Amino acid sequence: MTELLTRLVRKPQGAIGLALLIVLAAACVCGPWFAPYAPEKMDFLGRFRAPGWQHWLGADQFGRDVMSRLLVGTRATIPMALAATLIGSGTGAMIGTASAYLGGRLDEIIMRTIDAVMAIPGLLMALLLVSTLGNGAGNAVLAIAVAFTPSMVRITRAVALSVRHQDYVKVALARGEGAAWIVFREMLPNVMAPIVIEATIRVSFAIMLFATLSFLGLGAQPPASEWGLMVAEARQYMHQAPWVLIAPSAAIALAAIAFNLVGDGLRDALNPKDER
Amino acid sequence: MTPALSIQNYGLDYVTSAGPVEVLRNISLEIAPGEVLGLVGESGSGKSSLAWALMRHLPRNAREISGSLKLSDIDLRQLAPKQLTGVRGRRIGMVFQDPSTALNPTLTIGRQITEALQRHRGLRPREADALAIELLGHVELRNPAAIMRRYPHEISGGEKQRVVIATAFGCRPEVILFDEPTTALDVITGARILDLFARLRTETRVAALYISHDLAMMTRVADRVAVIKHGRVVEQAGAAEIFRAPRAAETRALVAAVPRPERRLIHDTPDETVVLAAKAIGVRYGNRGLFRAAPPPATNAIAFSIRAGEILGLVGESGSGKSSMARALTGLARFSGEISFAGRTLRGAQDMNAAYRRDVQIVFQHPDASLNPRHRVGEILSRPLKLYGGNPADIARMLDQVRLPASYAQRFPHQLSGGEKQRVAIARAFATRPKLVICDEITAPLDVSVQAQIIELLLALRAETGAAYLFITHDLNLIRQIAHRIAVMRRGELVDCLPVEDFDADHVHPYTSELMAASPVPVG
Repeated sequence: MTELLTRLVRKPQGAIGLALLIVLAAACVCGPWFAPYAPEKMDFLGRFRAPGWQHWLGADQFGRDVMSRLLVGTRATIPMALAATLIGSGTGAMIGTASAYLGGRLDEIIMRTIDAVMAIPGLLMALLLVSTLGNGAGNAVLAIAVAFTPSMVRITRAVALSVRHQDYVKVALARGEGAAWIVFREMLPNVMAPIVIEATIRVSFAIMLFATLSFLGLGAQPPASEWGLMVAEARQYMHQAPWVLIAPSAAIALAAIAFNLVGDGLRDALNPKDER
Repeated sequence: MTPALSIQNYGLDYVTSAGPVEVLRNISLEIAPGEVLGLVGESGSGKSSLAWALMRHLPRNAREISGSLKLSDIDLRQLAPKQLTGVRGRRIGMVFQDPSTALNPTLTIGRQITEALQRHRGLRPREADALAIELLGHVELRNPAAIMRRYPHEISGGEKQRVVIATAFGCRPEVILFDEPTTALDVITGARILDLFARLRTETRVAALYISHDLAMMTRVADRVAVIKHGRVVEQAGAAEIFRAPRAAETRALVAAVPRPERRLIHDTPDETVVLAAKAIGVRYGNRGLFRAAPPPATNAIAFSIRAGEILGLVGESGSGKSSMARALTGLARFSGEISFAGRTLRGAQDMNAAYRRDVQIVFQHPDASLNPRHRVGEILSRPLKLYGGNPADIARMLDQVRLPASYAQRFPHQLSGGEKQRVAIARAFATRPKLVICDEITAPLDVSVQAQIIELLLALRAETGAAYLFITHDLNLIRQIAHRIAVMRRGELVDCLPVEDFDADHVHPYTSELMAASPVPVG
């Protein structure tokens, strides 16, 4: 694990990504302490105050401090995106590996079903699910997880198919091992590397998808300071006070870039052939 | 006379995260025009690195420490990338180990050979075509004009290697590097490639560096032989004397490890009780499709029996169905026919119960692939114990049985050498005290010296446990040392099944005598 970290940090993209992630994690854990104001503290005299010494990133239409809202909102945004990716990738990995192990007609049935689900765009799928299940952050997480599963299944199955033909799986079969052992202990650990990489990159998509859902009013609900919701609320005052819109948008972009960079770095670090 | 190729005091390091690793040190070799220098060494001794250094195609982490690489008058190390393209292929050719990856699968054979001719000899397309056809005919390919239009996957491995050789010779280089050109081919095809090489070199008087780990092959192809160990040349002498009177200890060890059919390693006779009898086993991959006929069977009605404690050799060229038999016997491939084992008759993989799975074990060719890279050795060895009953504390004893220290239980497979990995795979197979162990080419990827140790271990384990072996191999010399009986397969058919003493007799199948003639005569 430490070896993986050193290899990750050696490449510039890995080091920058990791540094950004640490900043994000710090904001998640102790954002509220750093926040100069309470996130919902209104100040009617300070509406749309431009960024300055009082409010570093300005104030919004209710005079709430944008930076405080961003810092507190990290908790509402990043863990949700992580949870959605984790659930989606985990389910996808298990279905994909099992499908590759089973093979034949069952594999065919599973994969065609996945193809059918994949034909629906991710955002549309999430919208459908949220409108069926009802608004709320929890349901949005579930919706994003479901939207992510099919492509994870495809990626995992492609890797698992090559693992399926490795001799150690044949040895396990010849030894008379059960399906659960072969899928979970023999195959899954060996398909983990591409899943981890893909999942890291997917977190950034999840942040954006989650922000989009909130933007459309289907994710987090006001007065929560979720980043997507902040963008949605700031939209109508865009010309009056662009900083209210720019700050959360930049935060979303930065988080997405951080996860993407770490994903790229991991791809290099997990490649055993890259010993240099 | 200036040598065709001269390497003086050459040193090479690979820089890794753990610091520089010595690859080559103080290498000084000379090849006169028209001479073939054999370079022998175990895997990891730096043979291939030297070939790539001569081709100026080193990995990015390579650091050249010292020395010079001279091709007659020019210093290869001083060449700029642009000058190199005029030397590579034109003045120094290369023939690779695996012909299936040396040819581009998306280009026709004709395109690949004429491209080299146009590039290096400045021929016009039509002249290049004519010359290519002549060259392909010259390497004994039948109907060269038709071969020109084919893609690499449409010709056999031996034919591919002939195409690569024709391309290399066609540009009339001064030196050709051969990097184990017959290792990826089966014995008979490899022997024919060697004959071709011998003919071409007398015709063209080309100088060659012939890299191999196979000592017996060297006496056939090389004028002089250099033995390389850990990146250092330990001995250099004429091909005839180096193996008859090896001076360096390393050479002596290499020569001693070469299998010789006349030096039998087992002397007992097995019981008469039959452990496993196979009747009319047929394996077939793929079914008849809607629009295509069923593919030909991989094995066709094979019948044999193995007695308790017997070593039955199964030989044949690649694609002859040897491994399909192993897969059928372990239930990894669907088969027709029946297997009798311990009083039961099995007609398919679904009949294989726990007792059968416990008593019939398999060891695969590549230990890299047969040991799960994410499991520690201890976990790998504990699985059969958990499935078939056994004390997890036995792992130390199992490791000891295959002469490995007990501390290896904590290691991952990639921390072990190739021979050690194969020992772990063997320990796993013997965990359940099997009655029959199927060894599928288990020594093929190993060096001769490691191979000798593995064979010694297998024989010791047999003496200890009384297990019978089905030993699949393409090395006839090796199997004649250890087998009681040898079965010969060709194209899915069993052509011969003889006690090993009868192998020199004259009533063997013609194919068997062809195999015998093709396998290299042991040196020394």
